[in-house]
Amino acid sequence: MNSNYEIVVGLEVHAELSTKTKIFCGCKNEFGAEVNTNVCPVCMGLPGTLPVLNEQVVEYAIKMGHALNCHINSVTKQDRKNYFYPDLPKSYQISQFDIPLCENGYLDVLVGDEVKRIGVTRIHIEEDAGKLIHDADLGGTLADYNRCGVPLIEIVSEPDIRSADEAKAYLDTIHTTLLYLGISDAKMQEGSVRCDVNVSVRPKGSTEFGTRVEMKNVNSFSAAHRAITYEANRQIDVLSHGGKVEQETRKWDDVKGRSVVLRSKEDAQDYRYFPDPDLLTFVVPQEKIDRLKARLPELPVAKTMRYMSRYGLSKADSELLALDKNVAEFFEKCVGSGKCSAKNVSNWILGDVFKILNERRCSINDLALTAENLSEMISLIEKKTISNAAGKTVFEVIVDADKDPNEIVKEKGLAQVSDTGALAAIVEKVLANNEKAVNDYKSGKTNVIGFLVGQCMKESRGQGNPSILKEMVVAAIDNK
Amino acid sequence: MGKLYSLSAAQMKDLLNKKEVTSVEITKSVIDRIEKTDKEIQAYISYNFDEALKQAAAVDEKIAKGEKLADMAGIPVAVKDNMCTKNLRTTCASKMLGNFVPPYNATVVEKLLDEGAVIIGKTTMDEFAMGSSGENSAFQVARNPWDTSRVPGGSSSGSAATVAASQVPVALGSDTGGSIRQPACLCGIVGMKPTYGSVSRYGLVAFGSSLDQIGPMARCVDDTAMLFKSICGRDMRDATSKDYTYKPYGDSVKGIKLGIPKQYFGDGISAVVKEKVYRAVEVLKAQGAEVVEVSLPSTDYALSAYYIISSAEASSNLGRFDGVKYGYTGSKRGSLDELYESSRSEGFGDEVKRRIMLGTYVLSSGFYDAYYKKAKILQKNIAKEFDDAFKLCDAIITPINPTTAFKIGEKSDDPLAMYAGDICTVTLNIAGLPGISIPCGFSAEDNMPIGFQAIGKKFTEDKLFTIAKCYENAVGGFAVKEF
Amino acid sequence: MEIDIKHIAKLARLSIPEEKVEKFQKEMEGIIEMVENLPDLNTEGALVDPSDTMQLRKDEVQPSFPRDEMLKNAPNTAAGCIVIPRVVD
Repeated sequence: MNSNYEIVVGLEVHAELSTKTKIFCGCKNEFGAEVNTNVCPVCMGLPGTLPVLNEQVVEYAIKMGHALNCHINSVTKQDRKNYFYPDLPKSYQISQFDIPLCENGYLDVLVGDEVKRIGVTRIHIEEDAGKLIHDADLGGTLADYNRCGVPLIEIVSEPDIRSADEAKAYLDTIHTTLLYLGISDAKMQEGSVRCDVNVSVRPKGSTEFGTRVEMKNVNSFSAAHRAITYEANRQIDVLSHGGKVEQETRKWDDVKGRSVVLRSKEDAQDYRYFPDPDLLTFVVPQEKIDRLKARLPELPVAKTMRYMSRYGLSKADSELLALDKNVAEFFEKCVGSGKCSAKNVSNWILGDVFKILNERRCSINDLALTAENLSEMISLIEKKTISNAAGKTVFEVIVDADKDPNEIVKEKGLAQVSDTGALAAIVEKVLANNEKAVNDYKSGKTNVIGFLVGQCMKESRGQGNPSILKEMVVAAIDNK
Repeated sequence: MGKLYSLSAAQMKDLLNKKEVTSVEITKSVIDRIEKTDKEIQAYISYNFDEALKQAAAVDEKIAKGEKLADMAGIPVAVKDNMCTKNLRTTCASKMLGNFVPPYNATVVEKLLDEGAVIIGKTTMDEFAMGSSGENSAFQVARNPWDTSRVPGGSSSGSAATVAASQVPVALGSDTGGSIRQPACLCGIVGMKPTYGSVSRYGLVAFGSSLDQIGPMARCVDDTAMLFKSICGRDMRDATSKDYTYKPYGDSVKGIKLGIPKQYFGDGISAVVKEKVYRAVEVLKAQGAEVVEVSLPSTDYALSAYYIISSAEASSNLGRFDGVKYGYTGSKRGSLDELYESSRSEGFGDEVKRRIMLGTYVLSSGFYDAYYKKAKILQKNIAKEFDDAFKLCDAIITPINPTTAFKIGEKSDDPLAMYAGDICTVTLNIAGLPGISIPCGFSAEDNMPIGFQAIGKKFTEDKLFTIAKCYENAVGGFAVKEF
Repeated sequence: MEIDIKHIAKLARLSIPEEKVEKFQKEMEGIIEMVENLPDLNTEGALVDPSDTMQLRKDEVQPSFPRDEMLKNAPNTAAGCIVIPRVVD
């Protein structure tokens, strides 16, 4: 990247809302149904049909508005955006033009160790379009209207983003926020979150914006990172060779890693927005707006920062814990039990628990593991009632069964032995059987101590207290 | 019972209740009448005779079982061909929808069927309800029963003609700028455009969504009210519909104040029409009504606001007709744009194209504020003027059409001349008010019917029916064309 | 007022045959002239009317329509979908 230039990025994120029904009709809002089965005269735009707005869509959008610190417009309306395309059966999309439901907000994101505030211009509600399936055999295109009328929010950022990393951090935060609020499945691979990227560059120090290029077809957040990097470099290349960046819409091809012109400024669409006469003004009572705000959960960035300051966890660990609402809740329950340290809980969750989640590709809520059992087990280790190794044995049980760790320790005889009398015989035996190691130690290779303690642990079937064993081994050799 | 078809709906209902006739007998009589006269009147695009007879038989069965019947049970009704009827072709008199068979019923149709009404067929109209003569039909031009060389008015041309020709007692029309009241006036029958929001628009193929309203047409006031009663009320499928409960009406205008706005009696209105309307006011005065002068100064702008708003909305509403999902598919299908352009250019008639282009123009980049937004603000001002006028009176009396029905082909080449005729009717749609067209005699020049309009405050349809009923009684009923 | 009738027709996806362009052009200009007589009004602010509002719908599932019913008017279908000319984007 040429360091004489600064990148300016604005993002438009479309997220499908996870309501039970579509935005304007009672058809099911679900992904993956057989083609054209979740359709009715309303969402297929048959002549004579009329839209009726789903109140849940408004609530979900307001929640997101609150999460992004927006002003909520209590008096608003819906507008028609007119254009012809076969995935849009009415030839207009019902959207919001001059009074979005939410506007003038911001989102704090973590970029490296810095908190960066990115302005949110607006969030509006609108309907999704259908899906076109290109069929080579038919030599034509097939239209599936199941997705028509699925509710969307469009989140438009200010051009406050200055790097591909910032863009990625912003998108990741939007993504986790959607999941936290429980208002979207936010599944990138199902297309339920999509984004358009606006990129311009300008000489460092300049206060004026450069010519903006819009990039479509950015289908994942990592693709957004690649697309921004590519496009910024392309523009810098044009400018540094004395050229001019054209205002245009480009299409990102993630496989080839490049963008191509989709349409130029001259072909800009004239959408002929006007208020939808089928949908009157709608008013959201202030008390409802306030109630939704009061119910807002703590959001991922705030959580991350709290974990760092309150529990002294690293940023990376805090972010990982806060990323998934269910994991964060689990973590906080464990910590809240007051039985064990946050650091140890964090280590267990990010280590052994995450390993299981990855292996099984499941959510923490799918496990039988409870916060009570995990924190009890960790407290047993902390109290040295059991060894770390014994802890792992307990974990293997409690991960799939709601069983008191104390019971498991008793049943399996895992309680750690700290009584030097009981351990002396073991130490004696191990030293006798490992004369070479003892001699190595004596000749200064002190690191064999670990091996000797390990042998003692093995001999004690894991029940010996390793730190006491270590002391005893050292003392026994020195005394020889 | 030779002329069952010519009875009023109220009379039919009475006979059905007394079990003196069956709905099948009535329906057969109506079918027979249509078969004999429709070659001349050309009111229908689609007949629904087989289904109608089944619907009638079902009602008769209920009567035989002694079940209590709703008002419209067993009564034949004609439906304008822009209201969706499940499994019955709904064309909007357009080549575009020539073979369109809806998979659902409009709410008004559903309500009528629930009451046991007999849907006899779908009536012709101006294409997509754009027009005021009935001549803009892609299929056939309905005739005025009083003189079949003349237009019946429009756009609810077929519904007006079939009622006036005593083919059926009642019909549904739709009114965006006068499309119920004007043909009712020109055919000498009663027609009402209800308050915007009192009747569901669900299933009415939209023209100007913020102006469109479905309403009843009949040869007498009681039938008009009876049909209205069965279709009004809030519909959860129409977000613009309102809670509305039908209120019974009376027949006395004693103490009712009638406002006369001078702006509606200007030079554009023919002397013969003015004279008949003034005479109707005298009749009501004699029945005890008071008459006051009121002013509606923005009337001149209403026509402009109407054409801007209705065309803008139409240009968007008619975007869905693109040759892809239903309706006419154009001759060129190589690319998407070819498919769109050939479907729309071949499927729509010239008047529809004109309005789509006007609407596209007024919404296009750079013109929105000057046209559409201004027209919407003007709409509020016009509504406000009516509110002020209604502080002085209970209803406003005006003419409906500047002249009597003209000859077929006389004006159809001049869109502007056609538009000017809408001046007395569009203001109500702009203001969302109810209005009723009441016959008030015939022109001595051409013997064609003339009507007057009573306009009410929102949701005062009962008052309009009262005025109309009083007038009907005072003149001894309305003339019916015999032939 | 000169109207670019071809541009408007293109926006509306209508093709006006060359011989009819002039007729439409004249008619449209006449209509525009008629509707242009609007008075001077302040057009600031958005078109909302808090005195005339709508009720919203509960998020409750209603049955969808059978696919055959929904596709029965389509000119060309295959594999449960509507077939359209190849879209290149």
